[in-house]
This record gives sequence, C-alpha cells and structure tokens, in this order.
Amino acid sequence: MTDLAASDIVETVPSALIILDRNLCITSANRAFYQTFRTSRSETEGCLIYDLGNRQWDIPSLRTLLESIIPHRASVEGFEVEHDFPIIGQRTMLVNARKIFRAGDHDGFILLAIEDVSEERVARKESKRNSLLVQSIVDTIRDPLVVLESDMTIVTASQAFLTMFGITQAETHGRRVAELGQHQWDVPALRHVMEKVLPENKPFENFEIEEDFPGLGRRVFNLNARKVSQPGNHAHRMLLVFEDITDRKQRERDAVSLSNEVSHRIKNNLQLIVGLIAYEARWTAKPCVQGYQAMQARIGAIAQLYDLISQSSHGQSVAVDDYLREIAKTITTSLLGESSRIEITVQAEPLEIDPERAVPFGLLVNELTTNAIKHAFPEGHGTVIVSVALVDNQMELTVADDGVGMRDELPVKRPENRGADYVAIFVRQLGGVVAPPSKGGIGTTVRISLPLILALPEADSHLVV
Amino acid sequence: MPSSDNATHIVRVPRQERTQMAAILIVEDDMLICELAGMMISDWGHDVILAGDADEALSVIKSARLVDLLFTDIYLKAAIFGGCKLAQQAVRLRPNLPVIYTTGNSITEALKAQFVAGSRFVRKPYAAAQLQGFITDALPS
Repeated sequence: MTDLAASDIVETVPSALIILDRNLCITSANRAFYQTFRTSRSETEGCLIYDLGNRQWDIPSLRTLLESIIPHRASVEGFEVEHDFPIIGQRTMLVNARKIFRAGDHDGFILLAIEDVSEERVARKESKRNSLLVQSIVDTIRDPLVVLESDMTIVTASQAFLTMFGITQAETHGRRVAELGQHQWDVPALRHVMEKVLPENKPFENFEIEEDFPGLGRRVFNLNARKVSQPGNHAHRMLLVFEDITDRKQRERDAVSLSNEVSHRIKNNLQLIVGLIAYEARWTAKPCVQGYQAMQARIGAIAQLYDLISQSSHGQSVAVDDYLREIAKTITTSLLGESSRIEITVQAEPLEIDPERAVPFGLLVNELTTNAIKHAFPEGHGTVIVSVALVDNQMELTVADDGVGMRDELPVKRPENRGADYVAIFVRQLGGVVAPPSKGGIGTTVRISLPLILALPEADSHLVV
Repeated sequence: MPSSDNATHIVRVPRQERTQMAAILIVEDDMLICELAGMMISDWGHDVILAGDADEALSVIKSARLVDLLFTDIYLKAAIFGGCKLAQQAVRLRPNLPVIYTTGNSITEALKAQFVAGSRFVRKPYAAAQLQGFITDALPS
C-alpha cells in the first residue's frame, strides 16, 4: 500500500525524476522525465546517464555534480545545469540530488529531481533587461520625473529629479509629492488634477507652478502626468514629469514686454501725429475740417489693423474671418456705439491672407464699411454685411448694405468722393478688380475680386480647393 | 473739510455753479500728447487739468478742485498699470467719478479686470471726434 502510494506520487509530480545506481546507470524514471526529454522507458532504463539520447546528457557540469559533489554529500539542492540539448534545445535545469540507501545496501542510489526552469530564467533575464532599460531611459530623460503609487506616494524618482531637488532616492521613497521640499507642490489645484489621473484615466499636461524652491530660486515648472500600466499587473501607477520652463517663460515675458514697449511707443507717436492734425484743424477753413477728421480716423484704422494682424496672425498668414470680425467690432465701437441701430454682420469663409496685404485689405474693408455707415442710412438704422468667399479661385470681398442706395455717379471731384479714390488705390495695390455695380435691388453692394496670392508658395495648397 | 493726506476720507468738493462745461483731469506721461489732448478737450468748452504722472494726478484728486472726469493713460512711465491703480484710488476718494482709460497696448482680460466699474476705454491713437464722443458719453447729462 505504501509502495503503491509512493509510485503514484512519483508519477504525478511535475518534476522529472530519475534514479541512478552507483555506476550512474538509470534504474528508473518518472513520466515527467520521459515527457520533458522526449524519451521512453526502454531507451532509458539501464542506460548510463551520459549515454542517454546520443550522449546529450554528457554535460561537464552534470559530471561535476555526480562525480565530484554527490560522493561527498548526502544531498545537493538547486544545482543549475545549462545545456543545449539536441532535441529540446537550450535549457536551464535545476537539479536536486539525494542519496538513497536501502537496508543492507551500502552503495545506495541517487535520486535526481530535474526541474526545467528555462522559461522562468528567460523571463527573469528579459525582466531584468527591461528594468535596466527603463531605468536607463528614465535616467537619461533630462526632465525630472517620478513614478507614483495610486496612493500618491513615490515609488521611484529619476536621477534628474534627485539632482534638481537635492534629495536621495531613499528620501523620496514612500513619500507624497506634496510633502517634498517646503511643500511647494502642495497645491489644491494640482492635487485635484492628480487625483483624476488614475481613477478616471485622465492625463494632464501643462499644469504650471511658479514657486521659490530652496537652492534653486524662483522657478516655473510645467507638470505632466499620465497613467502607466504594467502588463499582468492590475495595479496602476502614475508618471509625473516636471519640466523646468523658467528660461522659456522668461524669454516669453521678455518678448511680450518688448513688444508692449514697442507698441506703446508706436501708438504714442501715432497719437502725436493725430494730435498735431487735430491741432492744425483748429486753424483750417471749415470745408477742409472733414478731411482732417478723416485723416485722423485713417491713422487710427492703420494702428488698429496692426493690432488685429498680430491677434489674427497664424505665423505666416492672417485668418481673414477673425480679422474681418475684429475690424467690424472696431468700427462698431468707434463709429456706431452701443445704442446704434446700424449693425455690421460678417460672413466669412476660413481663408487666409499674407500679412503684407493685410493692411491694404483692412483699409479697403474699413473704407467700404465706413462709407456705407456714413451714407446709406439717413434714417439711422440698417445692416452692413461684410463677406468673404472663395469664388473661381479668387477671394471675393462683398460689402453690402440695405440702405438708400447710390445716386448716379457725379463726374465732378467732390470731397465726399475721396473714399472711392481710396477704394480704387487699395484695390489696385491688392491686384483686385471691382465688379460692375448690379442694377436694382436694395441698398448698395460693392463686390471686389482679389487674387489669392500668399507670401509662402507652400501655403497655396491649402487655399486652393 | 477733510485732510487731503487722509486717503481713506472721501474728498467733498463744495457745490459750485455747474455750466455746460466740465473739469477734466488728463493724466499722460508724454507731455506733448497731454498738451494736445488738453487743447482738443478745451476746444469743446471744458476745463482741463494736466498731470504727467499718478502722484501729480492724485494730489489733484485729494485736493478740493472740481474734477468731473478722469482721462488717464494706463502705462505711466515705470508703472505698467499706473493708470489703473490711479483710477482705483481716485474712485475710492471720489465715488462715481467717470473714468476713461487709454493705451496703445492691447487690452488683456487681466487688465480689464482692473478697470473701475462703469469706466470706458479709448484706444490710442484716438481721433479728436472719437475722444469727444467718449467724453460726452461718460459725463452725466
């Protein structure tokens, strides 16, 4: 009964088991051995272990174990044998050996339990390589970063992080980011976004913190965080990157303050010109005053167009739709006021214009719209529609009003016709053509075709449809 | 009469006979622009008081002089938002004082947040007619 139970156990254990006699001949092996090494009982039993399967077991390290170690010891555990077996390939075996003595038998037997740990070893090597790779990537990233557990404690910090904040890995481990330094990172808004990263898988970018850091001085950091998942592990961790943007921020601030300074001076000089024109107007005969006033308004328009260009500019080009809306807004505030019953509506396709032509284009729109407001609505109410559309690969600008309409053209040059002269000049400068006025209908419609030439040749492609 | 040194007291201006014209305090660090603006405004029949910086303007505000409207540049020499600060102080001393700001720089939301309630803004360069419209709108009818 006991014997039966023992053999059952031997047959069911997953480790390959063999029993050798004192001559190192195999007396028996279990099923796991035959399966692992793809051999059979008849090929195995009675065979010298080294001769087994075309001498594939004639392994120097196994010889060492069996011939040099075992004779002197009762048992050996965890002896590792690495060998390239002809049939089953490169394998790592963990061998446990034990000498067994039966009653009256002095020489005894050797029980070898052989466990195939190849896959585990490969996985372990792979994992070690990965972790080294990850650590070296982490250490080469110049931006300081930390990996956090779901409870916001630090698992690991990059070398850059440790250097920047003058702390050791041990000092960071298990601590919360909010507890570091002088609690500079203990900001409710940061806590709020960080708490959402893991549960809601909501990464955040560009969270800016400006603070005084001991040893570093005043710094601006841009924080980014995202969830990192480890394969086969349900626990998620968070990667938090600290980008030092102090210098970039300073450069941006310098650029803004320089452009403010330049803008301040230019506008003050233009104000001076406008003021001098206003001063001249005091001594001018009444019929000329209107011209002086128009001149002041046009200088104002040019100054504003520069502001609008910088607001609507996308690098090399100006977005026409935004630009027109801004012009309309400016005319509304400067000429119409809040209580006016004259409305300016903009309908524009998303077209772009080069900054070179943006000023004459803006002046053209300004002139046409101002003319409409001044002459079309003696009753004080109506609508001016400024629209831009792509027609036959040309940009078509239309300024239409629902006012009283134009009277017949007068051949005589009159002061109020100067607006039309300016329109002609701007259209010529832009290389455009004024469409002949359409007869009938309500009010006045001026339609101008302008070529779609941009400063950058490659920018053409996205305009031509 | 309250002490002009005590900034927390509201300056009480003795009631005077009001005519159509108003007293307008112009604060502008560029003296030529200041003079030209003063000339435009006085042409429309108003009294003008010229100030080259916030301190000069504040001493007028703290005095008993009649001031119906404050027209101030925002960028006053070294003080980037000098005009904003001045208007806040002026309104604390003289509640309901109409304020018109001016600057050639772009107006950001952060800057707008510093404007006193009910104030107006005219962009530089402003034409004479434009400024006249703003002043007429700002003065109580």
